[in-house]
Amino acid sequence: MSVIEAKNLTKVYNPDTVPVNALQGVDLTIEKGEFTAIVGPSGSGKTTLLNIIGGLDRPSDGVIRVDGEEIANLTDNQLIDFRQKKIGFVFQSYNLIPVLTVAENTEFVMLLQKRPKAERDKRVAELLESVGLSEKKNVRPSQLSGGQQQRVAVARALAPKPAFILADEPTANLDSASASNLLDIMEKLNREEGITFVFSTHDSRVIDRAKRVVTLVDGKIGTDVVQH
Amino acid sequence: MITKIAWRNVWRSKTRSAVVILAVAIGVWALSFVLSFSNGITYTYISNAIRDQLSHLQLHHPQFPEDKNSKFFLENTTEKLAQIQQMPEVEAVTARVIATGMVSSARTARGVQIVGVNPETEMKVTHFEKNIVEGEYFQADRKNQVLISQRVADKLKVKLRSRIVLTFQNLDGEITAAAFRVAGLFNTGNMLTDDVQVFVQAEDLKRNLLSLSAQPDSTAADLLQSQDISQEIAIFLKDAKTVSEVKSKLKSAFPETLVEDYWELSPDIELYETQINTSNTIVIVIFMLALIFGIINTMLMAVLERYKELGMLMAIGMNKGRIFSMIVLETMFLGSVAAPLGLGLGFLTVFLLQDVGIDLSAFARGLERFGISTTIFPVLDAGLYLRIAIAVFITTLLASLYPAKKAVKLQPVEALHKI
Ligand SMILES: Nc1ncnc2c1ncn2[C@@H]1O[C@H](COP(=O)(O)OP(=O)(O)O)[C@@H](O)[C@H]1O
Ligand SMILES: [Mg+2]
Repeated sequence: MSVIEAKNLTKVYNPDTVPVNALQGVDLTIEKGEFTAIVGPSGSGKTTLLNIIGGLDRPSDGVIRVDGEEIANLTDNQLIDFRQKKIGFVFQSYNLIPVLTVAENTEFVMLLQKRPKAERDKRVAELLESVGLSEKKNVRPSQLSGGQQQRVAVARALAPKPAFILADEPTANLDSASASNLLDIMEKLNREEGITFVFSTHDSRVIDRAKRVVTLVDGKIGTDVVQH
Repeated sequence: MITKIAWRNVWRSKTRSAVVILAVAIGVWALSFVLSFSNGITYTYISNAIRDQLSHLQLHHPQFPEDKNSKFFLENTTEKLAQIQQMPEVEAVTARVIATGMVSSARTARGVQIVGVNPETEMKVTHFEKNIVEGEYFQADRKNQVLISQRVADKLKVKLRSRIVLTFQNLDGEITAAAFRVAGLFNTGNMLTDDVQVFVQAEDLKRNLLSLSAQPDSTAADLLQSQDISQEIAIFLKDAKTVSEVKSKLKSAFPETLVEDYWELSPDIELYETQINTSNTIVIVIFMLALIFGIINTMLMAVLERYKELGMLMAIGMNKGRIFSMIVLETMFLGSVAAPLGLGLGFLTVFLLQDVGIDLSAFARGLERFGISTTIFPVLDAGLYLRIAIAVFITTLLASLYPAKKAVKLQPVEALHKI
């Protein structure tokens, strides 16, 4: 079973006023363990596609199955639950809860799921270890650099063991050293633990690191290449 | 966790939260002071009325309150007084002989209630002697002395030591008149009663009431019996809290007698309390309305400012119920910091002023007319504080609903995209 299965996805914004065809018939299948970049120039529909895959938005037409479930049929609150269990999000910015510490942020979704404390503590410790932020576990996000914040976001996203991590331009606000560092961590998690990553970017240095590169052009899939 | 986030969110925008908290606290402070003050007025009014006029409990013939006719008297007064005085809750008790009649001077006449008191025991119950502003309280050895208020003296155009005539029906229904000398002028501070009551010694009034009722063939025992009467027995208790307890004891001790507490004796006390309560409620509601808008405004700012963050929270799986309760909790925290602060300040203010009092003599003329003394002592009342705390609780809860609803209505995609 594929983790993500999209068939003929279309998305029209403002269908009644000034229609924008953001997606025009996208077919995409992503298997477990992939490390896939969705690339394309600004306005090509990357965010729209990831939002639909992540259950944050609904397609105008087409089918989207995540972990075997057709998510377009879920209600808003069911979608929130689905995202909480199945998908780890890393956004471009505003990923973390500013009033919580690094450890509390990492723990947050597990808390929503009412996981036992021992399990949470263990998981937080191992995740912060793997993103290299164990010493920062008691500081607030505002005391971290942008790159460190994105690493916490990755840890937070991974905590509840989602089916995959969805990251919309995770390096857009980072300098190249931080971007490369974040990619290192993502790569390592993918290689060592088989975590599935789907991320969008238009940064060529990031594109080079992806194993599979799906190019979007005007809301359609242009090329779909496996690298290395 | 949501509680923790909510609590910390309150302190994110320290200045803004501090301003709201301070505003609410000052409001609560003002409110608790105003209400303590109005409580003080009520309390002073009631306790003055009890001390100066009503006492805690009164005994009458069941028909006396309606008719005020002297023929509805209580028998065996001496025995009753002795029995009542023995009760441990009783501070003092006195009997009164009362007749309705007229007081007239050479110039003019007025309808009055003539109250015959026992000078000794009356002092212990109502401390009436302290109202004497000119002349003297009853002198034991002199007969037919009368105490009238300054207002009545002015109206009758009489002075101290003037002779005036009291006219009333005796117990046989015949009109009796007797001359009395003005021994003292009093002023109780309550114009309503000053205008209608004159005081004489019970023995003098009783002698006149009974003047023709002793039948030629009655025995000495009958006569003695018939002289041991009164129209009213007034009881002052050591502790007002024992009123209902003592009342029921008296009822069973004197089943044929009407026993009333100050509440029943003076319906205006009840009316007064209801009115004060109504106006207190109105003040609380106005205060709540003012607070609600202030709080809504602040919380809306807090929600709009965090639109992206709320969108992120919903994206990563925090459901609407949790978002809603987080905003409600944040609002409630504002209130629960502010309310104790305001109540504490209010408590302190009232505590400092409760013995000093607030002098209202500038407005006293108007107040005295209603029997309210001119210095008000604000009253600390736990029930009042509870009511204010509940009012703040309800206010903040109501005020949180709209911002919380606004927060859950947002769509995470849109929220995340807003810059
Ligand atoms: N909420 C929206 N309403 C209207 N048009 C939108 C909205 N979001 C995106 N678009 C349009 O859809 C197209 C695809 O946008 P987007 O998916 O954000 O592309 P990318 O992420 O690749 O920059 C663009 O033309 C954009 O202007
Ligand atoms: Mg985008």
